[in-house]
Amino acid sequence: MSMSNKRKKIDNILQGITYLAASVAVVTLSLIFIFVFRNGAGLVNFGLITNDYHAKYYNGGIEEVVSFSQTSKPDFLGDDDFYSEKWGIALSDDLNREGKQIIVVSYVAKDSPLNNMYDRNNQDNQYFNIEEGNIVTSISFFDKNSALSMFGAKNMIDELDNSDMFREIIFSSLGGGIRGSLITTLYVIGLTLLFALPIGIFTAIYLNEFAKKNRVTNTIRSMIEMLTGVPSIIFGLMGLAVFVPLTVKYTPADSANLLSGSLTLAVILLPVIIRSTEESLKVVPDDFRFASLALGANSTQTTFKVVLPSSLPGILTATLLAIGRIIGESAALIFAIGTAVKDDVSIFGKSTTLAVNIWSLMTDEPANIELASTIAIIILMIVLILNVAVKLLSRNFIKRFE
Amino acid sequence: MNVDVFEIKNLDLYYGPLQALKDVNINIERNKVTALIGPSGCGKSTFLRCLNRMNDLIDVCKIEGEVLYREKNVYERTYDVISLRTKVGMVFQKPNPFPMSIYDNIAYGPRCQGIKSKTELDSIVETSLKKAALWDEVKDRLKNSAMGLSGGQQQRLCIARAIAMEPEVILMDEPTSALDPIATLKIEQLITELKKNYTIIIVTHSMQQAARISDNTAFFLTGELVEYDKTDLIFSTPKKIKTEEYITGRFG
Repeated sequence: MSMSNKRKKIDNILQGITYLAASVAVVTLSLIFIFVFRNGAGLVNFGLITNDYHAKYYNGGIEEVVSFSQTSKPDFLGDDDFYSEKWGIALSDDLNREGKQIIVVSYVAKDSPLNNMYDRNNQDNQYFNIEEGNIVTSISFFDKNSALSMFGAKNMIDELDNSDMFREIIFSSLGGGIRGSLITTLYVIGLTLLFALPIGIFTAIYLNEFAKKNRVTNTIRSMIEMLTGVPSIIFGLMGLAVFVPLTVKYTPADSANLLSGSLTLAVILLPVIIRSTEESLKVVPDDFRFASLALGANSTQTTFKVVLPSSLPGILTATLLAIGRIIGESAALIFAIGTAVKDDVSIFGKSTTLAVNIWSLMTDEPANIELASTIAIIILMIVLILNVAVKLLSRNFIKRFE
Repeated sequence: MNVDVFEIKNLDLYYGPLQALKDVNINIERNKVTALIGPSGCGKSTFLRCLNRMNDLIDVCKIEGEVLYREKNVYERTYDVISLRTKVGMVFQKPNPFPMSIYDNIAYGPRCQGIKSKTELDSIVETSLKKAALWDEVKDRLKNSAMGLSGGQQQRLCIARAIAMEPEVILMDEPTSALDPIATLKIEQLITELKKNYTIIIVTHSMQQAARISDNTAFFLTGELVEYDKTDLIFSTPKKIKTEEYITGRFG
């Protein structure tokens, strides 16, 4: 009796430990997610994905007003939008991505004189205009103090209404968007898979289906396995030492670029893809191979018509893992692709992926943890969508064959 | 015309240091069902796989002696294995249809030989399935996955797949051991039917099955061919004492 009581106690303790471990794991992961979402959720909107990262600044001037605007305040503008009928512009107060007070243009009338400004930085630039969504920093006048954004939209509109002329209006586009990084990420995913998938899959097929099972093959295999354990920053150095000079020599690129970054990532991914493809080839039953060979098919036909299709779900999973790795990789890319956040993405130019963008934001002074968290949310979303897509695909695939 | 499809002369087979077949001499008659019986590990499946060179796939396997198919040694260095396997089909112990549609399963072999015409493939699929007595059961769902068929249907599909190559010989390696009695009966009826057009060599563990469907029976024991004769003679008046002991169930 006492023996069984003791046994019971030990069982309970062991079970308790598993519960504890599981809950620690779940709580930790949840806390990370909660942290990221609390910091970043405020900035998630569609504009973030479509906007440029770098704001463009304009100094607009006006020569002589021929006619002021005749448009009265449109109905869709609310009480928070302050409208100047004379100048045909509505402004409203808002907060930017760093939480500072800003003034946003919410409407510009068609007949507004502000549609016909000249660029004070570039006199040739006529018909230069202000647009909805622009941020007005200040308006300076000839005969009185400037209207600054810190005094609010109402003050700015009042000052405008009281004047027939101003010296300069300084405004900018809304920056801080991640369109560039997002496009770079997509480019890098595409290019990397383009290099890594065919080479990886065909290598795996060679190793598993055609290569003689001898010491040479085994050595190659264990070397490939070893490569999966090499820290990616070392591959990054290799990218900097090999692919950057290569791409600089043979392409229009003149520094680290998308192509060198993708090639570096492809090298990082090769062992992963080879290994997981080989695993999925190994689980294809030999029965299929025998059946095919016994029907007079040669080994190439057997491999490409029977074995490869049967292992597609595994290869699909390998691809998903690879894409996840591409999205998440930052260390290697800092060297191989650069850290400059760019809005105009070109394959032969410097730019950053989302993950490196996070790194850039966090090394800025001050660190922009909100925007970094927002990017993290977007990365998480992409990974989630990929996961679901591959699950659905492979389930469909399995249903077809079982 | 020679009535023997296969003539096997002094066949020795080694798996590494282990000798699996010892000096086997046997002639296989055309358009007959030849049953290979014997206890597990006696070499009968190994022998069967020698006939379409499936043993080539085993690295450590070494073969000496001659396997003459239509008076040509298939182990000759220059012999075309692919054409041998199109003429000598095989059905395996476990039904192993490909994870494709029923149609694609049957069309697989012909397609590998370069037949692309849709009408030609259609007619091959239909006649093969009819010969395998499966057509009526699957004609409305040829595009469905073969994995959805029952075990017995899958095995008949494998037979149809072999027939699609228009072979001369069909090798069967315990084709009914994974099937229930009703499916087994259907396969046996099918074998009796196929005998008219094909030479069938079947490995079986069931002596009743050998007695029911075969014309000739070969008894293997520890890699040696002990006795080979007409099936009724083997089961009524075996010449060797080992054969008698085996078929009366004293060992094995």
